[in-house]
Amino acid sequence: MMHKLILYLTIIAAMIAPLHAATSRKEEDKRTKAVVGSKPAETTGDDVFQANCSRCHMPPMSISPRTAGTVIMHMRTRARLSREDEIKLLRFMAP
Amino acid sequence: MTSSGPAVPYTLIVLKIKHTVYGWLLLAFTLNLSANAQKSALDEDHAGFVPVISGGAGYVHNVSGGIVTLEPQINPVLLVPFGRHVLLESRTDFTGFFQRENLTDGPFKGKIFKTVEYAQVEWLANTHITFIAGRYLLPFGIYNERLQPIWIKNLQDAPITATIGTRTSGAGDGFQLRGVATQHPGYTIQYSAYFSARSDINQLQSARVAGGDVSVFLPRLRLETGTSYQRFLQDRQIDSVAAYVSWQPRKAAVDLKGEFDGSYYGRGYWLETAYSFTTLPIPRLLQRTQVVGRVQHFFPAHGGGNSLPHVNNQRVDFGLNYYVRDNLRFISSYGRTFSSQGNANVWNVGFTYRFFFPLWPAKRQP
Repeated sequence: MMHKLILYLTIIAAMIAPLHAATSRKEEDKRTKAVVGSKPAETTGDDVFQANCSRCHMPPMSISPRTAGTVIMHMRTRARLSREDEIKLLRFMAP
Repeated sequence: MTSSGPAVPYTLIVLKIKHTVYGWLLLAFTLNLSANAQKSALDEDHAGFVPVISGGAGYVHNVSGGIVTLEPQINPVLLVPFGRHVLLESRTDFTGFFQRENLTDGPFKGKIFKTVEYAQVEWLANTHITFIAGRYLLPFGIYNERLQPIWIKNLQDAPITATIGTRTSGAGDGFQLRGVATQHPGYTIQYSAYFSARSDINQLQSARVAGGDVSVFLPRLRLETGTSYQRFLQDRQIDSVAAYVSWQPRKAAVDLKGEFDGSYYGRGYWLETAYSFTTLPIPRLLQRTQVVGRVQHFFPAHGGGNSLPHVNNQRVDFGLNYYVRDNLRFISSYGRTFSSQGNANVWNVGFTYRFFFPLWPAKRQP
């Protein structure tokens, strides 16, 4: 019984924590714009591409811009990428 | 009873109308979400969002303990985006297993197995939350969700412990939340949490399980470490745990991965390293070579079983892959298993190919 209680509490905590941390989309877009538009010291789309894709596989280089949006949506879910990373990747792969 | 005759169709009609209305409302809600999402997205790229058929195909000629198995396979992945925040995706596996009639002689016989590996709808709400509903791959450890596709894995045989935390089919039917809990320049914390219902429906088999995964990724070091937990909530209710690490150092073309898995039926680990010749001062033709090594050890508990060996098992593998292009490679590997039931050699030779087709052309934005 205690075991189940701990399990359910863990799952609920795992679900609530990101909900609590989540900001509104508007705020997020503002923050993202700030990040994207800021200094060159920031990580670039190339950095995000090299760091994240190689975590699982040899990064494919032959993705056309017209399909890049779909592929990056898929990879954002699979690799649990942030919205900021997604935007950098989109700008890198489909400038 | 006689009066209930005409009432039944009427009830059915009302139900049908209700369902249709709910369906349209849901669709309208979804499209509205996508439309809003598109408005809020930054229009600073020219990326197209068209449906895509992708996936892997290949052929593996396997010789295990002297028994030859021919394994052609294809795993198409369908990706259908609705705006920039909703994605429908699925992957189906078609794998053939053909062996000689009497295992070592006679004509080859076998069949092709079809499996719906996942079919899910994702709502990418924001950085912190992606909501997934449908049939999804169980996010346990790093193998099942990430390394399993034929064109991704460095060695074609799955680790011995790959069935821990992924029973009964590798997929769950239910919902999942995942995303980035927090992101800083130096580190990112990622999570996923899920619940799956039991299902015995053909192609949609799953177990009643609940669990989660948390990982920390250090982008500067390109190092990720994480842990998974799962509670199996049917028949014998057991816990499964995993701890994993993945490291691709910047200064060397090395890919290092390792995982420990444990459950009621046993525990074990695997450690794999792959080295690409891309940075070596050798002819370009040879730079496309990759060498792989993997060691693994499994210790059964409570008699083992449930897709795990019943006896202590050790295995070493060596692989040699050659990338003709980034989406086409020749693969080969040699492995040897050591157990009290007998040692055996395992050979794999073949090729893998990643395909990728947009389903219709998209206008490139000016």
